[in-house]
Amino acid sequence: MLSFVGQRLAAMVIIVLTLAAAVFALQKMSPLDPVHAQLGGQASQTAIAARRHALGLDKPVVTQFGHYLTGLAHGDLGTSYRTRRPVRTDLVAYVPATLELAGTGLLIALALATVFAFASTLKVPGSGAFRLLLMLGASVPTFLLGIFGILLFYQHFGWLPASGRTSIGDAPTGPTHLLTVDGLLHGRPAVTWDAWKHLVMPATAIALGPAVAIGRVLRSSLEGELGGDYVRTARAKGRSERQILFGHVLRNAIGAAVSMTGLQVGLMFAGVLVVEQVFGWPGLGLYIAESIPVADFPAIAGVTLLLGSAYVVINAIVDLIQAAADPRIRV
Amino acid sequence: MAVAEPFVGARPVWRRPLTVNFRAPRTWSIVGASLFLVVTVIVLAAPLLSPHDPLTPVGIPLAAPGHGGFLLGSDSIGRDVLSRCLYGARASWFAALVVIAGGFLIGGLVGLVAGASGGWIDNLLMRITDGFLALPAPVLAIAVVASLGPSFTHTLIAVSIVWWPFYARIVRGEISKLAARPHVEAARLAGAGRIRIAVRHLLPGALPAAVVTASLDVGNLVLALAGLSFLGLGQSAPAPELGADSARNLSLLLQQWWVPVMPGIVLAVLAVIANIAGDSVRNLIDPE
Repeated sequence: MLSFVGQRLAAMVIIVLTLAAAVFALQKMSPLDPVHAQLGGQASQTAIAARRHALGLDKPVVTQFGHYLTGLAHGDLGTSYRTRRPVRTDLVAYVPATLELAGTGLLIALALATVFAFASTLKVPGSGAFRLLLMLGASVPTFLLGIFGILLFYQHFGWLPASGRTSIGDAPTGPTHLLTVDGLLHGRPAVTWDAWKHLVMPATAIALGPAVAIGRVLRSSLEGELGGDYVRTARAKGRSERQILFGHVLRNAIGAAVSMTGLQVGLMFAGVLVVEQVFGWPGLGLYIAESIPVADFPAIAGVTLLLGSAYVVINAIVDLIQAAADPRIRV
Repeated sequence: MAVAEPFVGARPVWRRPLTVNFRAPRTWSIVGASLFLVVTVIVLAAPLLSPHDPLTPVGIPLAAPGHGGFLLGSDSIGRDVLSRCLYGARASWFAALVVIAGGFLIGGLVGLVAGASGGWIDNLLMRITDGFLALPAPVLAIAVVASLGPSFTHTLIAVSIVWWPFYARIVRGEISKLAARPHVEAARLAGAGRIRIAVRHLLPGALPAAVVTASLDVGNLVLALAGLSFLGLGQSAPAPELGADSARNLSLLLQQWWVPVMPGIVLAVLAVIANIAGDSVRNLIDPE
């Protein structure tokens, strides 16, 4: 087990380094010169040369890459062309909103996937209709789900708010920056309740696609395991279908679904970026959408590095969990 | 003494009476798979089907669907939403096909070279492929476009760059399964060269799996590209594009819902049709 953990962690580090190298190469390939972007068009030759030297851009590419990696290791992601602040400062401001949205989305996706898989395995009445509804939802672009949500639950019924994270003006701004948690920590359940109401629609919109993907995998491995010899033995002992499903089959069947969940997180990131536009959610999606039109490469690179590393780490954790649950994987 | 029956079985296909068995699943799979062709023809005919020019204002702005001669309404400067949707569907559909063709070619080539040569080349190519697969494709695509500069072509290049590894994996897997089969051994003993074995004896066997993957992928790509276009990584402003048209008109949602909603519905229809057609292709090619 220990060598498996070591191998998996080493692979993770290599992939993150590759990602950093890829982002560095993209920065070098970009026709936009960072010095021009920082100083503007009217800067004098001497000023440009001085800034080039200050940024280390007159050194060999390998040295520059070394500096870049050292900077990354210290959390230095460069300076945004647009906001003129360190990208790290910007990210710290935008990440909590995205984290809260993506986390809630993942929970909803897992809940829907589980209901979907178990209902159709146990052939619960109505599961066919639920399945069709989910499939249809997964074929609809994420932003359209958000738009339909707003038209239905905000405009028509007036049940849910349509934009932002909260409608409470003096919502607490710490310590976790997650409004659902901060509301409870400050003893203001109204803040938490309001934050949930803002979260439900965007989180469901990003959850449907991954829910169907995870649910399909879980259902097919449940059905595959139900044909096993040990299931026949359990039936012969007289155990009920539910006991067999939860007591015997689930642990064997859950592996594929767990690794699918890890993979779907990448898709979910893309969904988050889009849905944040629809709901005016003050997270990384809004940040990146404001950075794209002005070609603010350091900002986009920062988001890419952050989300890419998060994805790699999540998938490494998923693999370790699986190895812990199923000894066959460690070999 | 038995009299031989006249032999009638092997008439050529075109001489046989045309009977269509609507009970056979295969018939429905052929109908489903032909949806790919139907959609391609429809979007190719966008200039003929569109009632108006997608770029010029032709009537009152913000007309509701069915009013002012606009079947799907008009946008904020009086352009026909239906025409913009048809042209946008053409852009989305061909963008998806182009990316798939790119992924298919690059990934197929990498997979073929890796699977057919084996050894360190196989190892190196597959480690690179795994590296790509270990990163979230859409996020990587955004960074590539940002580095090249936002434009439609750059978006297609970026998505192709992150999309080929799936195909490389699948083709490599099929090839290495095939390489152990007797017919390949026989070809090698007959003195066939490496390239001949790869192209004549390995590639044809790997194609069905790659084609199935590609046809199931069209719907995914339509949606993925729409997401990027929604974020502003598609064609620039006046060009009709479904994701971007919806994003730019979001502010109209609560009053003139049809302007942002219609392009999204067209995208959903494209994706659903592509998924049905992809499933049908899979059923035709590997029916288990």
